[in-house]
Amino acid sequence: MTDIDEAMLIAWVDGELDEVTRRRVDRAIAEDPALAERLERHVRLRDRLSGHYAPVAAEPVPAGMQALLTESAKVVPLARPASRWRHWGTGGAIAASLLLGLGIGHWSGGPEGPVAVRNGAMVAQGTLATALDTQLASAQDGSPVRIGLSFQRKGGGWCRSFEGQAVSGVACREGEKWQVQQLVAGAGQDTDYRQASSGDARIMATVDALIDGPPLNAAQEAAAKDAGWR
Amino acid sequence: MSFESDLLAILPRLRRFAASLSRDRADADDLCQAALEKALRARDQWQPGTRLDSWMYRIMRNLWIDEGRSRQRAARTFAPEEAGEHVGHAGDRDVEAHVMLSDVDRAMHALPDEQREAIALVLVEGLSYKEAADVLGVPMGTLTSRLVRGRGALIELLGEAA
Repeated sequence: MTDIDEAMLIAWVDGELDEVTRRRVDRAIAEDPALAERLERHVRLRDRLSGHYAPVAAEPVPAGMQALLTESAKVVPLARPASRWRHWGTGGAIAASLLLGLGIGHWSGGPEGPVAVRNGAMVAQGTLATALDTQLASAQDGSPVRIGLSFQRKGGGWCRSFEGQAVSGVACREGEKWQVQQLVAGAGQDTDYRQASSGDARIMATVDALIDGPPLNAAQEAAAKDAGWR
Repeated sequence: MSFESDLLAILPRLRRFAASLSRDRADADDLCQAALEKALRARDQWQPGTRLDSWMYRIMRNLWIDEGRSRQRAARTFAPEEAGEHVGHAGDRDVEAHVMLSDVDRAMHALPDEQREAIALVLVEGLSYKEAADVLGVPMGTLTSRLVRGRGALIELLGEAA
């Protein structure tokens, strides 16, 4: 028997032993095949675990997370709304569809609203349509609607996320119209409303689901606008 | 370098840590996203000159623990989602529910939280014992005993293949 315990063995594997103790373990291993086998098991376990999770760190970062950080870097930091991530799968979707159900009747009733229903689909109109057509994320001071991200969707076509006082969401170009893919409640009259969008997990989840490649940079966005979003 | 670009630089490692804590990759990215949001809100609490990665590991780990507690509360209040699918297999419910996951994911998920987070920080993230103990807010001796017990359990769960 040796006086090498399990904690000492794993500390050897983790590179946590001082020189003297490490040599002591080395000598014990050389003299004791059973101990060497235990050490070998720990080495294999560490290799297997680190190898198993290593591919995650090699993957490209999801666009939503990247966008959260790049958007945040552009905006003066203010308090963000509380995270709703626990409810992504259910609560967020239910809240969004509830909003749609409540909202359509209201908006479709008036010509002034940001969204109309045409042929069973929601399309942007008024100031929202104008913002989606013409506004660049880099130049939108004083606009009632702000553009968040512009990006190419999977399968082709352009999409843009937007944020306003009443509603925020994501719209994609369909022919000459912007079809609204998602609407969530805006932050109302709160002067901090600009914070609501980019950090809104529901919108980022939609962007993540739709996006193909990275979001457009300012030059690409301007070029897409000049081409009429075709 | 801004706070955001520093975060972006360590984001791949944060996602890996989230993956080793969470029961699947979707939960892991939810957790990671929530940790980023929290970090952006709490950026004033980070002290420049200290390690941003350790600070983020701590934020993520605390969110994950809180989430685990609220899941446990929900489990006591409501029947678990999967219950209907596993009638007659109550004892194996966790194992059955994770049949799509790899052996390593399953074995990690079978560990008590306190062992899993210690294993994740040291074996997956490569933190030193001191760094890991700081993130978890426990003495070194506590950390090493969790590492010993967690590794013993993993070797048993993964069999000779480990």
